[in-house]
Amino acid sequence: MKKIFFYLGTILIMSICSYNLTIHYIPNIVYAVFHYKIEKNQNIKDNEIKHFDIPSDQSRNVVMPNPDFLYSTIFYDLSEKDLNINANMPDSTYWSVSFYKPNTINWFVKNDQEFDTNKLDLTLTLKNSKSENVIKSPVKKGFMIIRILVEKKDKKSIESYRTLQKNITIN
Amino acid sequence: MTGINLLSNKMKNNIIIPILVLLSIIIGGYTAIKKINSSTQNNEFSIKNGNWKVNPNMDLKDSYQRAYISRIGVFALDEKEALYFLSSKDNDGNPLRSDFDYQIIGTPPKGRYWSYTLYGEDYFLVKNDANIYTINKENLTKDKPIMVSSTKKDINWLPSGNETKFHITLRVYNPDESVYKNLESLELPTIKKIEK
Repeated sequence: MKKIFFYLGTILIMSICSYNLTIHYIPNIVYAVFHYKIEKNQNIKDNEIKHFDIPSDQSRNVVMPNPDFLYSTIFYDLSEKDLNINANMPDSTYWSVSFYKPNTINWFVKNDQEFDTNKLDLTLTLKNSKSENVIKSPVKKGFMIIRILVEKKDKKSIESYRTLQKNITIN
Repeated sequence: MTGINLLSNKMKNNIIIPILVLLSIIIGGYTAIKKINSSTQNNEFSIKNGNWKVNPNMDLKDSYQRAYISRIGVFALDEKEALYFLSSKDNDGNPLRSDFDYQIIGTPPKGRYWSYTLYGEDYFLVKNDANIYTINKENLTKDKPIMVSSTKKDINWLPSGNETKFHITLRVYNPDESVYKNLESLELPTIKKIEK
């Protein structure tokens, strides 16, 4: 009888631990699954940029994609080197650069109106710096999204933003 | 005899302990996922305004809220950059369904860019022949309501495809300061069911 109570108590305590751990790590699991899917389906490695087309009903990587945006993404890893991000961004539409931790928290976002110029020249690093163009990452590994808004869906607008998007480089 | 009992107890422990651990992981994990899924369905952690719900706090220190956001809107921007108003119900509180047509009437909150996007029950974009997924500031025909329908409309059409139930998200990028101050009382567009 004692043993049954011991077993039930053990199950209860361990279930509570498992519950809390699951709640805590759900974002990391979502992130890891997304990382795996992108790596596998798009053949993209860490520190490589992937330029996505405007999302459609076929886009199944992330829930609630915005079909007004062109997305460029990178899973970054700063353990060996800093990352330089260079681009000529559009001058007549919203665009932004954002970074996320592996628990999916958005720790940095800056949009076109907050940049002095549409020439993007950023360094992502783990070191401290006072330069405006240097961003200190709180984590070695994370995720970056560059969003370009395409409000008008005519072929000319899409093509012109796609060209700019493809010129975003990482080194 | 004692040796045999000891061996049998050891064998019992070798079987029972892993079963207990596995059972506990399954019970805890399952309950946690169920809790987050039900929070997602009910849009817990959000501010309610009419049939819309908005989560103004993306700086997520709370584990539940973080899990909820990662489930419903992973890689969303922080609240200073964008606000996401979600609705899965019409004005009368009934779920949005493609069996019915709806009109979205009213003006979105002030901001640099806004859009209405329709998502299926699984939170992905809805398949439709016209490949229209959103109505935004640029493609809206002004002074005409937005028509949510599974059948083609000439103006401001937001297709609902064949979804049993669906959600509408109203995104507002770089909202005006006044929007943050009145999230609960702000006048938001209404979603009205109309006869087909």
